[in-house]
Amino acid sequence: MSARHAKNALVAAANPVSRPNTRRQLLIAGLLSPALALGIAVALTFLLMAYVSVQEQFPGPASFALEHYLAFFSDSYLMEAAWRTIALGAVTTIICAVLGYPVAWYLVMLPSRYAYMVFIIILTPLLVSIVVRTIGWTVILGNEGLINAALTWLGIVEEPVPLMQSFWSVVAGMVHVLLPFMVLSISAVLSRMDKDAIEAALTLGATPRTAFRLIILPLSIHGVATGSVIVFCLTVGSYLTPLWLGRGSVPVMALTVRQQVLDLGDWPGGAVQALILAVGALGLIGLFSMAVARMARR
Amino acid sequence: MNSSGNGRMILNTYVVAVMVFLLLPIVIIVPLAFSSDASMAFPPSGFSLKWFEAALSRPEFLDAFYLSTRLAVVTTAISLSIGGLAAYALVRFRFRGRALCEALFLSPLIIPTVVIAIALTMILGQMGLLRNFWGLVIAHTIMTLPYAVRVLAASLSEIDRDVEEAALVLGATPARMLFHVLLPLLRPGILAASIFALIISFDEFTVTLFVAGPGYYTLPIEIFNYVEFYSDPTIAAISTLLVALSCVAIAIIERIVGIRNVFK
Repeated sequence: MSARHAKNALVAAANPVSRPNTRRQLLIAGLLSPALALGIAVALTFLLMAYVSVQEQFPGPASFALEHYLAFFSDSYLMEAAWRTIALGAVTTIICAVLGYPVAWYLVMLPSRYAYMVFIIILTPLLVSIVVRTIGWTVILGNEGLINAALTWLGIVEEPVPLMQSFWSVVAGMVHVLLPFMVLSISAVLSRMDKDAIEAALTLGATPRTAFRLIILPLSIHGVATGSVIVFCLTVGSYLTPLWLGRGSVPVMALTVRQQVLDLGDWPGGAVQALILAVGALGLIGLFSMAVARMARR
Repeated sequence: MNSSGNGRMILNTYVVAVMVFLLLPIVIIVPLAFSSDASMAFPPSGFSLKWFEAALSRPEFLDAFYLSTRLAVVTTAISLSIGGLAAYALVRFRFRGRALCEALFLSPLIIPTVVIAIALTMILGQMGLLRNFWGLVIAHTIMTLPYAVRVLAASLSEIDRDVEEAALVLGATPARMLFHVLLPLLRPGILAASIFALIISFDEFTVTLFVAGPGYYTLPIEIFNYVEFYSDPTIAAISTLLVALSCVAIAIIERIVGIRNVFK
């Protein structure tokens, strides 16, 4: 401590006139400005999108119209796509949490020679192109793929079973892509947890089940929550997996928004969908975070 | 005691199952790359290297690989410079609006990707930067910046501020302090952030699909286009090459900084 004081005195001596506050502010502004410019550009983009969404047509002469919002909410195909998007996000998130928790537990709580190798294998998918991973799933689930080859060889089925083109094939692909994020979030929280608290509870006669429910779960819920937010956002915003593993039969908003914009050339309609997707996702995350905060307080 | 041993065994088996689930879709592609069949049927009926030859002699793939590499390098340089400055401000100073700035920099992580893609298509279209190298650089910089800021901020917060001040007190100019003290200390963080940014840019799919166009297809988009029309094992061959590239990246990260430190 005293060394620090001495050093501060030295600094003060070296700068007889203490730096004015404005110079500090200028420095901070200068450091932040390039990143801020990008961030503000993104924010402005959303304003532009909001503007386009209430135009009758775009590009074209300015004319206010809410018809594109009305069109969205009265179109049953688009409404179904919206609900399907939320369902896909929720199901993927829940499966990732349930599958990922024990893995995170294994990585953090059980010292093992293999833990580090397991850690690398869990993270590997993150470093492999999403296009490659999705092709891998089509090889597994396709009509000429691994599962159908195995089923035919075993004589269980005569004709290939269509395994793709379903909600669940998309879920499989999404879970595969996003599970590492969930494991990382949960293990980050578990590794900061006070192991003595668990030890104490067990010594004082709590059953492992009670200790888990009363101590470990409430303490690790934030990791699950962080992971859930990441997984949910990445799921509802992803385009390739629903396209390739759904084969046209799982239209989610990421797909319909592109159809609207590129195939139909309907920018206002696309802007409406994109805004609803963004606001809906952020709103659901907000509600979810509030619920988690309440749960953690109890 | 016995029951906990059983529990341990169940957990071990479970973890192995999850690893198989994670690795299978990646590993499954490799045997198909060496297939002699004309389709990606499983199991392959014979061995051949012709699909590697097909992949490597397709000029579209080579051009796309070149574009992806150039884009990833330029994006990484810009993203790390911008992100490094911002991380320094966030870590070393307390100021009003700091939390807001941080939220703004990290926001591309929680806005659904396809929404960013649509938004960027709109604004880059207005600026005449669609189907343009610099438009792609802007898009990729936005997507990589959150990671650059996070990794660099984490790395910077572990370096004692006193080291910087000591150098300044001892008469180093700020530039000399930066290049001879701060940057060398930050090297592991800079390396980790670079690898992150390179991989994210190289693999970026959704946003690129919207803002790229003929003449400006990155490798993931070129592969996507190919798969939309053909289903021969050329795709398995090029995927195998990409997986090999990822393995090299993993080995480099592991050797230099340790995978665990990158994902902290």
